[in-house]
Amino acid sequence: MLSVQGIEKSYGGIRALDGASLDVEEGKIIGIIGPNGAGKTTLFKIISGFVKPNSGKILFEGKNIENSQSHEIARTGLIRTFQLSKALTKMTVLENLMLAPKYQEGEKIWNVWLQPKLIKDQEEESREKALSLLKSFELFRLKDEYAGALSGGQKRLLELARAIMAEPKMLLLDEPFSGVNPYLGMRLLDHIESLRSDCGMTFLIIEHDMPMIMQLSDYIYVLNKGQVIASGLPREVKEDEGVLDAYLGGV
Amino acid sequence: MIEYIVSVLLIAIIYAIFSLGLNLEWGLTGLINFGHVAFLAIGAYTTVILNLRGVPLIPSMLVAVALAGLCGALLGLPTLKLREDYLAIVTIGFSEIVRLILLNEEWLTRGPLGMHGYSRPLADFVSVDYNYFLLIVVLTCLIVCYFMLERLVKSPWGRVIKSIREDEDVASSLGKNVFSYKIQSLVLGSAIAGLSGSLLAFYMRYINPMNFVPIETFYAWIIVVLGGSGNNRGTILGAIILWIFFSGTRFIQGDLPITPSQAGALRIMFIGLALIILMMFKPEGILGRKEELLLEQ
Amino acid sequence: MMQVIINGIVLGSVIALAAIGLSMIYGILNFANFAHGDLMALGAYLAFVFNVIFEMNFLVACTLSIILTSLICVLFEHLIWKPMRRKSAGRVSLIIISIGLALFIRNLIIFLWGPDIKRYALPVRRGIDIGSLVITQNQIAVIIVAVASMFFLHFVLKRTTIGTAMRALSDNIDLAKASGIDVDSVIRYTWAIGIALAAIGGILYGVLTNINPNMGWFMVLPIFAAAILGGIGNPYGAMIGGLVIGLAQEISTAVLPTEYKLAVGFIIMIAVLLVRPQGILGGV
Repeated sequence: MLSVQGIEKSYGGIRALDGASLDVEEGKIIGIIGPNGAGKTTLFKIISGFVKPNSGKILFEGKNIENSQSHEIARTGLIRTFQLSKALTKMTVLENLMLAPKYQEGEKIWNVWLQPKLIKDQEEESREKALSLLKSFELFRLKDEYAGALSGGQKRLLELARAIMAEPKMLLLDEPFSGVNPYLGMRLLDHIESLRSDCGMTFLIIEHDMPMIMQLSDYIYVLNKGQVIASGLPREVKEDEGVLDAYLGGV
Repeated sequence: MIEYIVSVLLIAIIYAIFSLGLNLEWGLTGLINFGHVAFLAIGAYTTVILNLRGVPLIPSMLVAVALAGLCGALLGLPTLKLREDYLAIVTIGFSEIVRLILLNEEWLTRGPLGMHGYSRPLADFVSVDYNYFLLIVVLTCLIVCYFMLERLVKSPWGRVIKSIREDEDVASSLGKNVFSYKIQSLVLGSAIAGLSGSLLAFYMRYINPMNFVPIETFYAWIIVVLGGSGNNRGTILGAIILWIFFSGTRFIQGDLPITPSQAGALRIMFIGLALIILMMFKPEGILGRKEELLLEQ
Repeated sequence: MMQVIINGIVLGSVIALAAIGLSMIYGILNFANFAHGDLMALGAYLAFVFNVIFEMNFLVACTLSIILTSLICVLFEHLIWKPMRRKSAGRVSLIIISIGLALFIRNLIIFLWGPDIKRYALPVRRGIDIGSLVITQNQIAVIIVAVASMFFLHFVLKRTTIGTAMRALSDNIDLAKASGIDVDSVIRYTWAIGIALAAIGGILYGVLTNINPNMGWFMVLPIFAAAILGGIGNPYGAMIGGLVIGLAQEISTAVLPTEYKLAVGFIIMIAVLLVRPQGILGGV
């Protein structure tokens, strides 16, 4: 579904990515691990269009996206979340979710006055979907709270729920478990797994929490110093010498 | 006395419309536009120039509003991607260049002499003091703008704009074309400013470049900030308060041992101070909501 | 043409002086101080007050004005900027506050000293003729003072502890804090020095042309342009930027109507922001 080929990116003298490549099959959960500074988030930024690579290709469902803009890529169904949680704190939880769907006619300025009925209907539909999503994420009682009032873990759940509202084909999750307490972490895990099994959603996840990512992933890529140094099934990667070196030897 | 009140009400409402445009750009979308007065000028001068060349008023006004909006887009296209403080500097520069053009292209604008002698809506048909009629026109424009903007704020479009104000990356990651939305906001805000420019021209019966100096932009800013950035009702309230302040102080200044120019300066000193104190201690203004403030780093 | 170049260098020196202070403060405090021009004007007016109203010797008047203006700025730092930093105020709040401050200072000047044009009590001196060029003694004085001030700044930055601390702070504020530098104190010094330079710039401008309440606002755009062109935070960049802008403005009169001189600085600034926002000497 997603094919990343030989991505290179330098910032001034620093090579953040040095020929990174990976493939993600549809319906799978793929994990990316690696020490700090390995280039994982940079890779995400490039895949999702927030940063342009110096060279390399990215194909999503067969189409080249390495030069596309971030909002265009999101529209093709590739949605990312952020390392530092970006719940929109000045909007309510419900509003955060209702922002997400893609084809809202009400977002076109002239429609606001020309198509009020259509917008009303779409908003109703959106609202119902959002409420049911909130229920399944156990955030329903917080629906009218400003998102700024939520705990760290709740914000992460909110972000995931919001991303799902956008009906993605594939989700890029950047450290979704960081700062989340164990209980909420398990709920998050359950949600990801059920999205994969019930909806066939594909995931590419960066994570530092080893137990979580090992349990969750079908396949793992290990990044270090801008390159993929190992890849394979979780238990294979766990025992790989090169991987242990990378983590223990320090960057 | 009544005529005086009508006159003050007129100018207050014109400023309210002008500031509503800024409220859309800054309060709702988070764009620092320090050049808002440029569109007031474009609206006023376009209306007047066209009308003096024989174009009837309604088409003149429509062209003025459209041109103001278009200039907003032209300003925004190269500059909206700049960081907020750079945008502030650039927009002031833009409004000053517009003013320089008005001052120097005398073949078009009669330069510092200004322009007068243009007609006003239905002036020939109104038998009472024209200002009463103009008040109705201006009030209607305010009501239309207000409801139009309120509709926008509560719509999905408004939701996207608010998300852009807080965090562009989130909006982008959900497929929203941030740049396009910012331009839309700027165009609409500028068009509204253009409309207020036309109305200003009718009110004053004579316009010249001195009416379009940067401080006018900052009057709009204090109106918006005082009322509560992002709150349209607050903006209207802010405009009324500002003009009560302006006209009220005119009454007492005769009693103080100061010259008119000192009185004028004192007024603006007060406004500058008010801006500082507001931003330091009550940045949400009168009607704004603290939770919706976005002024921290 | 040479005449225009001389005028450009003179004007450029004044812009450069003001731009240095703006750039340093912008670099350390990370916001655009729109009151900078009016602080320049305040310096010019205070010198006028001492020189003309209190009939002091011009140089004494200037010295007093520079010290007073500097102190006033440190007062603002204490009353306004530091408390706002404590509140983690964003760039936007600070900019809006600086606009309020600019309006306040400018109109305070009008309130206290009136809107009409004033001049210093300086003897009128003959210009020096070099071939077909005329360079007035005032212009020479301006260049000398400006260059001397810049050397002084250079000395402070390279040879004094406070100067080193200022450079450290503008390089990397967190590292500077971690190495035990008293950030608040350095910021105060930056204000004092930066505004002192601006006050000198204001006085020089008053010497060259005249003293009027709008002189500061008039110069704000070229000063910002110079600071941005040179690279925000880099005083040497501001010096170069000032000269370039001054020259460009004066040279432009050869092709543009003089009324559009101001627009030249603005256009250069826009071009820099779009193409290379870190300016000539700015970092990556």
